[in-house]
Amino acid sequence: MMFELDQRIAEQLSTISLNSSVQVRCGNSNAFMVTASTMLPLMQMFEMGGVYISASRGAVEIIQAFESIGVDVSNIQFIDLVSSGILGGTDVNYPNIHFVDSPIMLESVLLRTLYILRTTNTQRNFVFLDSVNALAIYNEDRMLAEYLHTFINTFRQREVLSVILNVPDQTPPLVLSNLDLYCTDLVDRGQVVIH
Amino acid sequence: MNSGGLGELIAVQAASTYSRDRCVTGIHGLDEILRGGIPYGSTVLASGTCGSGKTTLGMEFLVRGALAGEACAHFTATEPSVKLLENIRQYAFFDMNMVDTGLINVFDMDVLYSWLGLDKSTFDLDDVHALIKSITDIVNTIGVTRLVIDSVTTLCYKIKSEQLIRDFLFTLGKKLATLGCTTILISEITSATENAHWSSFGVEEAIADGIVVMGDVERMGHLLRFLQVVKMRGTAHSRAKHAIELTPLGVMLTPMLKWGAQSDKASRWGA
Amino acid sequence: MRKNITFDQEDEDFFGQVGSFGVPKFDNEMHGGVPRGFTMVAFTETGSGAELFAKQFISPAEESENTLYISTNEAQPEIVRVFNKYGWPLDVNVRTIGEEYNANVLEKELLASRYRLEGFRLEDIQRLAQTRFVEDSTQDYLTEVTNEIMALGPYFRAGIDSLDFFLQRDDPGRVVAMIRMLQAHTQMYRGLLLIMVSVNGLPASVRQELSSIADMVLTFGVRTIGSDFETSMIVSKFRNAPENLKMLVFRVTPEEGITPETVERIA
Ligand SMILES: Nc1ncnc2c1ncn2[C@@H]1O[C@H](COP(=O)(O)OP(=O)(O)O)[C@@H](O)[C@H]1O
Ligand SMILES: [Mg+2]
Repeated sequence: MMFELDQRIAEQLSTISLNSSVQVRCGNSNAFMVTASTMLPLMQMFEMGGVYISASRGAVEIIQAFESIGVDVSNIQFIDLVSSGILGGTDVNYPNIHFVDSPIMLESVLLRTLYILRTTNTQRNFVFLDSVNALAIYNEDRMLAEYLHTFINTFRQREVLSVILNVPDQTPPLVLSNLDLYCTDLVDRGQVVIH
Repeated sequence: MNSGGLGELIAVQAASTYSRDRCVTGIHGLDEILRGGIPYGSTVLASGTCGSGKTTLGMEFLVRGALAGEACAHFTATEPSVKLLENIRQYAFFDMNMVDTGLINVFDMDVLYSWLGLDKSTFDLDDVHALIKSITDIVNTIGVTRLVIDSVTTLCYKIKSEQLIRDFLFTLGKKLATLGCTTILISEITSATENAHWSSFGVEEAIADGIVVMGDVERMGHLLRFLQVVKMRGTAHSRAKHAIELTPLGVMLTPMLKWGAQSDKASRWGA
Repeated sequence: MRKNITFDQEDEDFFGQVGSFGVPKFDNEMHGGVPRGFTMVAFTETGSGAELFAKQFISPAEESENTLYISTNEAQPEIVRVFNKYGWPLDVNVRTIGEEYNANVLEKELLASRYRLEGFRLEDIQRLAQTRFVEDSTQDYLTEVTNEIMALGPYFRAGIDSLDFFLQRDDPGRVVAMIRMLQAHTQMYRGLLLIMVSVNGLPASVRQELSSIADMVLTFGVRTIGSDFETSMIVSKFRNAPENLKMLVFRVTPEEGITPETVERIA
C-alpha cells in the first residue's frame, strides 16, 4: 500500500510552541494518515517524546500500524483505554503500553499521563489524545467538555504539547465548541462527507 | 536500625529546614490543596474505606519527611509491620534504608501493647495514659516530627467509653502539638459518602485539627479513588473531591470532574 | 505399629517385675509394689498428704538420671527441703513449672510497670522499633512435659504433681490425649508414672477418662474425726490384681513419711 504523509502538517507544526494545544481534525478514512503525519514530525523533526492515549483502538493495533509503515514508536508510551474491557486484552508484549480500566476513568488517564511524564527523560514532550469522538461514546457531554478543559490546561501549565485528534461530525456540539475554544491551533483535515 | 541511628537523627532534625508554619507533606498535589501544607503540629484524621489508600498515603507522608531529614514514626495496628513493609516496598518511592537507618521508625502496636502489659481487650484510664505517655516518650526521645498511627480505629475499639476516647485523642493531640509533631491518625470507615460519619466513633472528627476523607466514587460500574480535605484548622483549603492514583512514585491527585463526582443517577447519561 | 524394645536380662533382674512405691508398708499391701509399665493416677483432696506421697514415690530413684519429678506448685527450695528432711536422694531430675511460669509472667509484669512509670529510654525505643513480633509468653508446657517424659529410657520413674496446671491452661481433650500417649510410652518402656490430679473442680468426664487410661487409680482423702484429721488412700483400680483394691488409713511420720496404719478391704 502506498502511504503518503501530509507534509503540510509538518510545516504547520513547526510554527507552534510547547504550551500550545492543537486540535487535529480528521475523517474516519484518513485518521491514521493524519495521525502519522502529525506524530512523525514531532518524534523525528522536533525529537520529542510523549504519551499516546488510545481510546479509539487498542494500543497494539496502533503500534502495529506504525510498524507497518516502518516507524518505530518504542520510545512513545501508550495508555490504552479500550483493551481492559476485553478479556485477555491486557496480555501484551509491549513494555510501553499501560492500561487504564475504562475510558470513563478520565481522571485516571490524566494522572497516569502525568506519572509517565514524570518518569520519562526526554526534554520535550507531547500528549496525543486519540480521540475526542471515541471518548464521547462513553462520557457525558458536560463531563467530557470539563475534562478537555482540565486536560489542556494541565499540560499547557507543564509545557507539554497537547495534540487532540477529533472527528468533528462524530463529536457532540457542546464538546466540539468547547474544544474549539480551548485549543490554540487547528489542523483541519476533516473530510466532507457526501451523503 | 543500626546503632546510633536514632542519635544521628536528632542532630539531623535540628538542622532541618522546616522553620515555616507548615509541614510540607511533599505529596504531589496535596500541598496545593492545603495551600502550602498541614499547619505544623496538627493532628489530622485520615478517614477512609478499606483499600482507599490510607496506609500508602500515610507512608508516603513519612517518606517525604525522611527525605528532608525529619525523624518519622509509624505505629501499625491494622497489619503486622513485616507485612506492611513487604507491601510498601513494592512502591519505588519507598526506600527500606530509611527504616534500617532509623529515619522511619516502624512500631508494631501489638508489641507496644505487650510491653506495657496491655494485652487485654479493654483499656481503662490508666492504660490510656500509659499509651499516651509511651507514644509521646518515643516522639520526644527520637525527635519525631511526623507521626502516623495506622489505625486509631482498632485502638479506640479497646476504649469502651466515648469520653475516654475523647480524652485520649485530645490529650495525645495536645502533647504532640507541644512537641511540634505533625500527626496523621488513620481511621477506618465503612462508607465515605456525604452523610456518613468521617470516623468510626464520631468523636475523633470533632477533636482532630483536620479531616481528610478517602474513598471511592462509582462511575458507571467503575471505582475511582478520591481524596477530599473536609476540614483543616489554620489554613484555607480546597474542599473539592480529588481523584487519586497510587503510583510507584507516590500518591498523585487531580481535581475530580465536577460532572463526574456524584455517583447518583442524576450525573449519569441523559439526565 | 509397635516398636520392639529388647530388655537386657541383667537389667530385668536388677529392676524386677515390680518397683517400690517408696512406702515399704504400702509395697507390702500391694503384694510387692507397683508392676513395671504402670501408669497411676491419684485423685487428691487438699490436705490429704498426696504431695508428700508424690515425692516419696520418686525417692527410690533406681537410676537417678532416669528419674523425673515435675512440680507445678512448688519451688526448687521447698522440694529440696522435703527431700533433705527424709534423706531422699537429691540427684534426681526436677522441673518446677509453676516457678518457671511465675518467673516469666512476673518478669513481664515488672518490666511493664517500669515502662509505665519511668517511660521508655532511647535503648528501649530502639529495641521496640526492632521487635516485629509479640514474644510468645504462652509457652506450651504441655508439649514440653510430654516430650520430656517420652525422652526417658527403659525403667524410668516419673511423677507429675499436678495435672491441674495443664487442665487449667489447655483444652482438657489435649491433656487427656497426652496422658494416653504417656501411658503407652510407660508401658512399652516398663517405666513407672504417677500423675496427681486434684478432685476439686475436675469435670466428671475427665476423671472418668483418666481412670480408664490408668492402670492403677488412687484416691487421697481427708476427713475430721472429732478434733483429728484422718488421711486415707483408696486403691480403686489395679489392673490384673483385684485383691489389691483396699483402703488404707495413714499418718505422716518424721521417720517414714507416709505411714499406712490400718487397712480395709473393699468388698
Ligand atoms: N504497588 C502498587 N501500586 C499501585 N496500587 C497498589 C499497589 N499495591 C497495592 N495497591 C492498591 O492499593 C490498595 C491498598 O492501599 P492501602 O494504602 O493499603 O489502603 P488502605 O490502607 O486504605 O486499606 C490495594 O487494594 C491496591 O488496589
Ligand atoms: Mg491500611
